[in-house]
Amino acid sequence: MAEEIRAEMVANVWKVVVAAGDSVEDGDTLVILESMKMEIPVISERSGKISALHVAEGDVVQEGDVIAVID
Amino acid sequence: MTVTSTPPTSAGSKPVIDRADDPRNPRLRLESLFDEGTLTLLTDEDDSGMLTGIGQIEGATSVAFCSDATIQGGAMGEAGCKAILVAYERALADGVPVIGLWHSGGARLREGVVSLHAVGEVFAIMTRASGKVPQISVVLGPAAGGAAYGPALTDVVILGPEGRVFVTGPDVVRSVTGEDVDALRLGGPEPHGRRSGVVHVVAETQEAAYGEARRLAALLGDQRTIGEVEDRDLASLLPESPKRAYDVHPIVESLLDEGSSLELHPKWAPNVTTTLGRLGGRTVGVIANNPLRLGGCLDSASAEKAARFVRMCDAFGVPLAVVVDVPGYLPGVGQEWDGVVRRGAKLLHAFAEATVPRVTLVTRKAYGGAYLAMNSRSLGATRVFAWPGAEVAVMGAVAAVRILHRRRLAEVAEDVRGEVEAELAVEHEKLAGGLARAQEIGVIDEVIEPTRTRSAIAQAIAAAPATRGNHGNIPL
Repeated sequence: MAEEIRAEMVANVWKVVVAAGDSVEDGDTLVILESMKMEIPVISERSGKISALHVAEGDVVQEGDVIAVID
Repeated sequence: MTVTSTPPTSAGSKPVIDRADDPRNPRLRLESLFDEGTLTLLTDEDDSGMLTGIGQIEGATSVAFCSDATIQGGAMGEAGCKAILVAYERALADGVPVIGLWHSGGARLREGVVSLHAVGEVFAIMTRASGKVPQISVVLGPAAGGAAYGPALTDVVILGPEGRVFVTGPDVVRSVTGEDVDALRLGGPEPHGRRSGVVHVVAETQEAAYGEARRLAALLGDQRTIGEVEDRDLASLLPESPKRAYDVHPIVESLLDEGSSLELHPKWAPNVTTTLGRLGGRTVGVIANNPLRLGGCLDSASAEKAARFVRMCDAFGVPLAVVVDVPGYLPGVGQEWDGVVRRGAKLLHAFAEATVPRVTLVTRKAYGGAYLAMNSRSLGATRVFAWPGAEVAVMGAVAAVRILHRRRLAEVAEDVRGEVEAELAVEHEKLAGGLARAQEIGVIDEVIEPTRTRSAIAQAIAAAPATRGNHGNIPL
């Protein structure tokens, strides 16, 4: 089952750590957001393959926006 | 009332079906909960739909009751509810935890209002016992209607893999609203563990559910006293950059005795963590901001979650350790409309009224209203520690100078604005005075080396009078 990783809050995308097609483990960092003057890693909560990555560095994400999809 | 010597009471007549080997047999379920061979029944095995008993959990006494799902799906009638009252009276008389094992469709339809009235009496005694004896619920199967609100009135709800909690089941939902949803999505581990906050602990197996109930009964019912505490370097668990968010769980687990931690509501409002465990052998509750989630901001759900935890710990005399690294309250329309003011006020109220020893540690930063809410000196903290370099302020220095020097910053060229901001921020920090000033004012008692965090918190707790709050634990 695909799982969508969504932004929890408004943030700038500071760094993108993974690319579409990468395999990730539970606990891996996907992207690092910047919000509340902090660098906040977005962590995968499952192991799988990144089937889609919807953000690029410099983007602004709103709460609920899809960041990545993991299959 | 001499409930301590109550012989088994006959609440109904003998069962007509053979259920000796049925896994839903309430006697088997109660035996799985207690230490082997320690169960003594408080009520008869009959067709009341409920079985109650008393026994040992890791050597300490607890009372328990269990729905009999072999009869009418565990529905609660007058006799079954009376059995629960017997269990509660015994737990209250002995001052021991009471554990409910739930598998019930709710009130018995064929008994009508009589059963409804009886279920209401169960709610009433649960409320009367609230804050007096620990109440733990384990939901093993469907728990609907009255059987949903029963667990919800207790201190901690554990959900087993087959557990489903809802007011009305999928069939009624479909016929009334047209929503097509199954029991799992309506009231299973995902919605209640992550979205609703109804469930505190999700267990992957039925055995694990009993195991968590046993650990909770021991933590809340057998708290012990603080003994020797060995120190370890907790600051090594922080990232190098002060701007980098990190997961607070390793810090909480290292603060507590090894392997003793039991987190409540781990997936719901995860930006604050609420964990029971032991420090030097004594039960304590730890509340910590988790910067990995929402940057560690407080918001309406996390404030409410922490407030309920504080009140539960206070009611049972469990001392609190509060680990603070908080940038503020989460801003936004969603939060304001969600009642962050009303729900955030619950946390202020909970800490300010708490009488148990409660020790605060500021690890990196504590800003503004969130600083106050996290068991500040002004709310009556027993002792407030800070690690070297921690910041206590109304807001971050850069944010502050942007407001204080708005005009001046607007006048300088854009390409040097960042530089000027940084200069002003350094100046502002000097004026504000940092930790030294915070100590002078008395809002920080002591700056401690991270390597002696465990012993400092343990000593502060041990030195404070052992007290407990005189109030119930309303499910906030």
